[in-house]
Amino acid sequence: MAAPDVIDPAKKWRRRERRATAGLLSGPLAWLLLFFVAPVVYVAIYSFGTIKLFPTDTGVVTLDGWRRFFDGSVYLALFWKSIRISLTVSVVVVLLSYPIGYFLALCVKKRKYVLLLLIIAPFLTSYLLRVLAWKIILGDSGVINSFLFATHLRSPDHPITWLLYSQFSVMLVLAYVWIPFVALPIFVSLDNLNRSVLEAAGDLGASRWQTFWRVTFRLSLPGVVAAFVFVFVPTIGEFVTPLLVGGPSGYMYGNAIQDLFTKGLDWQTGSVLAMFLLLVVAGLMALFGRFVQPRSVAT
Amino acid sequence: MTNEFDRLPGRTLKRRDFIRYAGIAAGAGVLAACKKAVSPSSGPTGGPSATRPPIAEEPGGLQVFDWSGYGGGEYYPGKERQYLWADYQKATGDTPKFILFENDDAGYTKIAAGARYDVVHPCAYRFKDYVDLGVVQPWDTSLIADYTQLNPTLEQAGQIDGQQYFIVEDWGFIAPLYRADKVQPTEDSWSLLWDDRYSGRISWINTLEMLVIAGYYHQVADPWTMTDDELAQMRDFLISKKHLVSFLWDQSYDLWRAFKQGDVWIGYAWPDTVGYATAAGMDVVYMQPKEGRIWWSCGLGLFKDSANYYHAHEYADSWSTAKAALFLESYYYYGHANSTVDLSQLPPAIVKAFSLDDVSALQPPKAHTESWISRRSVYSQYWSEVLAA
Repeated sequence: MAAPDVIDPAKKWRRRERRATAGLLSGPLAWLLLFFVAPVVYVAIYSFGTIKLFPTDTGVVTLDGWRRFFDGSVYLALFWKSIRISLTVSVVVVLLSYPIGYFLALCVKKRKYVLLLLIIAPFLTSYLLRVLAWKIILGDSGVINSFLFATHLRSPDHPITWLLYSQFSVMLVLAYVWIPFVALPIFVSLDNLNRSVLEAAGDLGASRWQTFWRVTFRLSLPGVVAAFVFVFVPTIGEFVTPLLVGGPSGYMYGNAIQDLFTKGLDWQTGSVLAMFLLLVVAGLMALFGRFVQPRSVAT
Repeated sequence: MTNEFDRLPGRTLKRRDFIRYAGIAAGAGVLAACKKAVSPSSGPTGGPSATRPPIAEEPGGLQVFDWSGYGGGEYYPGKERQYLWADYQKATGDTPKFILFENDDAGYTKIAAGARYDVVHPCAYRFKDYVDLGVVQPWDTSLIADYTQLNPTLEQAGQIDGQQYFIVEDWGFIAPLYRADKVQPTEDSWSLLWDDRYSGRISWINTLEMLVIAGYYHQVADPWTMTDDELAQMRDFLISKKHLVSFLWDQSYDLWRAFKQGDVWIGYAWPDTVGYATAAGMDVVYMQPKEGRIWWSCGLGLFKDSANYYHAHEYADSWSTAKAALFLESYYYYGHANSTVDLSQLPPAIVKAFSLDDVSALQPPKAHTESWISRRSVYSQYWSEVLAA
């Protein structure tokens, strides 16, 4: 009679663990596959004209859409314009958010989380309302121009017109919208600083500025980079804010994608634009991912 | 509920009422004039001869794919039901369900992607696209009691291949609107939309129709069927003038708000903006450009596979009544195809704005029909380039 197989308990445990991991991951993975990967693949295929959806679609594989995009296309110029706007917004927002994060993390002793809550309080109201409020502030008869008229700094016949429907208004509103988001990773990064390192810098004779620049700032860099990515990546494809306050000069790459899919029904060109954006963003994420690890932001 | 229209003749008109009832007149007057020119019997009345279950055996729950504010109660809860589909509800006992689209293109996209309902309400430039998709069927106009009251000129826009695929209900003009207290046009022309003197005070619509407008301005033979060269020329022209534009509007209410706030003085406008501005006491002029206005129309389509065939006809009938016309014209300042509305009390300012005293108001050269564009995707590409440039 053969002896029964003896299963190694460690092997049994590992097998069970693998099964549990697979079980736990299957739901989110299925979700991602169904609602992210599959649509992206669909859009990618559509960009080559393979899918026939409208009567005007040929259903023939072609590189025309991509060729048009790269051959002196206005869309490429628009993409660089969007990059420029996003870059400006990201830098400004990080510069403005850093002092907020610094103050909350290192200066406030009590109720820092209450203050943090106050910073994100605007999110309790609708995004649309917040953006529309800027229209009232920036318009020709808005708060700023009315103030200038009242103080005779400006004639009512000559209001400052570039406040609204311009690249300036897009950048201003985007900065306003993103500051609380950006302040959070910076705050987390600074809040987790080992204070004894700062004390050691002081003990070794570093001035307050030297301590900040050579210790505090460098240790908070992962948070700063994360904050930058937080705002830079989504704003490249931004379309709601430019739609509401941008006017013709504030028109961005995201608006072109939206218009091609909704008004123009030129889904092939829209797919090309969307895929290009996706590839660039994926590249940026891979690049920034080398510098930003969740652990490095949190510790 | 008191019917506001019944009380109309017996009271003094306030400014708001003035513009409201003027809108009625605007629509009805022009249509009444046009009706004289075309025989009521010119429209097709025949529908498909397939055997169908009687209305009592239909499932009901009519699904209407429509703009917001056209029955779903988004703008005037209660009133939309009262004026647009209360008759339908009375006749069938059914309550329609409204599924909304943001604009014509978004609606068409959804249908092209496979969505199906019972009734759809697109505008004329999309009619043929729906027919080409093979998703709609002709109406049996003999089942629509008020069809004979509809203006045949407008109903012709809903006919494709001799069949009444769409019952045209609402219509309106497209023309330049400007503030008379701020703007002095050198001539009555679409050129006001790119007048250098008013840089930053101009608003265009964000659709490829701007290419068509530029085409009319440049006297292109048929701006609805432009060649690539002509389109490139219009694109370059619009790009060269884009810097004059404050913003491009997507919803007509945005244009009205910009007028109200003083941000713009000149706009590519629909009649509703004219109505709102006049009602608010603004000194505005709705221009009759020398190149001609454009008029648009929208209509109800019946889905091919609808299980609510007779319900849908009842619904179209409810929309075709004079009551529905009064609602649309007085609350939205749009015209309506029903030409039996009483036009006896009309404010002169609105008569002038909507050219009610001119029987040729809907005919070229004074106005051009918004047409189906066979090369719409090409137009769209050129317009996208204007936006992106």
